[in-house]
Amino acid sequence: MGYVWEFGVVFNQLDLLLAGLLNTLKITGGALLFGIPLGLLAAILRLSTYKWLRVSVGVLIEFFRTTPPIVQLFWFFFALPMLSGIEMDPFRASLVTFSIQSSAFFAEVFRGGIVSIERGQWEAARAIGMSYLESMRRIILPQAVKRMIPAFLERVIELMKTTTLVATVSYADLLYQANNIAQSTYRPLEVFTVAAGLYFIVLFPTSLLVKRIERQLAKTGEGTVH
Amino acid sequence: MSLEILSCRNLKKQFVENQVLRGIDLQINKGESLAIIGASGSGKSTLLRCLNFLEIPSSGEVSLRGELIGSRQNGQVLYQERDLIPIRAKIGMVFQHFNLFPHMTVLQNVMEGPRTVLKLPKSEYESRAISYLEKVGIPEKRNAYPSELSGGQQQRVAIARALAMEPEIMLFDEATSALDPELVGEVLDVILKLMQEGLTCVLVTHELGFAYSAAQRVLFMHNGVVLEEGSAYDVLVEPQQPRTIEFLRGHSRFQLPSPKNSQ
Repeated sequence: MGYVWEFGVVFNQLDLLLAGLLNTLKITGGALLFGIPLGLLAAILRLSTYKWLRVSVGVLIEFFRTTPPIVQLFWFFFALPMLSGIEMDPFRASLVTFSIQSSAFFAEVFRGGIVSIERGQWEAARAIGMSYLESMRRIILPQAVKRMIPAFLERVIELMKTTTLVATVSYADLLYQANNIAQSTYRPLEVFTVAAGLYFIVLFPTSLLVKRIERQLAKTGEGTVH
Repeated sequence: MSLEILSCRNLKKQFVENQVLRGIDLQINKGESLAIIGASGSGKSTLLRCLNFLEIPSSGEVSLRGELIGSRQNGQVLYQERDLIPIRAKIGMVFQHFNLFPHMTVLQNVMEGPRTVLKLPKSEYESRAISYLEKVGIPEKRNAYPSELSGGQQQRVAIARALAMEPEIMLFDEATSALDPELVGEVLDVILKLMQEGLTCVLVTHELGFAYSAAQRVLFMHNGVVLEEGSAYDVLVEPQQPRTIEFLRGHSRFQLPSPKNSQ
């Protein structure tokens, strides 16, 4: 038997793979850029004292957490233009999908972080005359965010892997490029091995960072939020 | 004539089924020091928390300097958060568990109110914070984090944090109950100094000896009402109500004898 590995043809087209990696990072970065503030907003609304707001935002969050991201992507790319006439290129559709999808997950991370802060912190902030937003911004969030970092980075890892779905709407991400090269070179094993290696190179340090921060927080006696 | 700072009329507070305050009338005058004593569950902490609206009273009225807090509508007083925020800024509160902000240094904790709420310029909020840290006796700890301090030091920082708002009145909610016995003294010393300087203070406390020597007036609460009220001597040494007598007896059941050859 003995499969003869031939990486030469892959490395000849490494620039294509790297261009794909760049596009993957663009989608991941963009989804974080929009998803994080959106997630924070959703978390704050979900903690509102108004029940209707709490419930409706909660339903939205759960909807995006429990439906498959590929269905969401198809919905934004194929269904939205048919229903509303809003057309998006593959990049925009992917960005919108993953911003919203990740914001739903970030909302839950934020919420977990916020509710993990002891009630006494809110009371001390209010007792010196701080408003809800001042208390949130100056007292609660700085403490909550620290506890959220590990859960947060876990989401980043998940997100970057999930963005491989954008290849299905012909956005030229790393997986899409790998597919193309595999078809033109007939070397799928080599191509996908290298592609996997590229994901690993980006995400492994992130994963190590999670472990390190978790250890540090445990040392200072602070919990982490999952 | 004495100037009224904080008062409440027929104040009631109900948590679901549980009526914690059953109609409290109270007036606190400028420069006065008032101690509230009573068993756990008598409503004394709830009363304090209703006075700065960390709890919203179920009914009754609270006034600051004679002005009703909230707006009266059909015989009911309604409270809106935006009206309560400036009120809380004028009423200092010290908690049993200190509740310092753990992500800030001692100095930042004390500066936070003058900075974020009063919006003073940097030079002012910083010097103000330092002067209050000096007042509570720990200016040298200004760059430490709360977790690096003893309980007594943390509580003194919490007092400085409340004082930095230059409130009209200070409320102490069992300020020494969470402290190791040997740390209680340093906190009581600070509170005593503030009282002697004429700061209006209300303290909920289990330290009856301190209440006796520091407070001008003592209030005994039982089951959500004020059962007995008067000078420290009248309430603590010659109480009239059977409940007060029973409560005080429970507190003085175990005492160390004086040395046999004491001078």
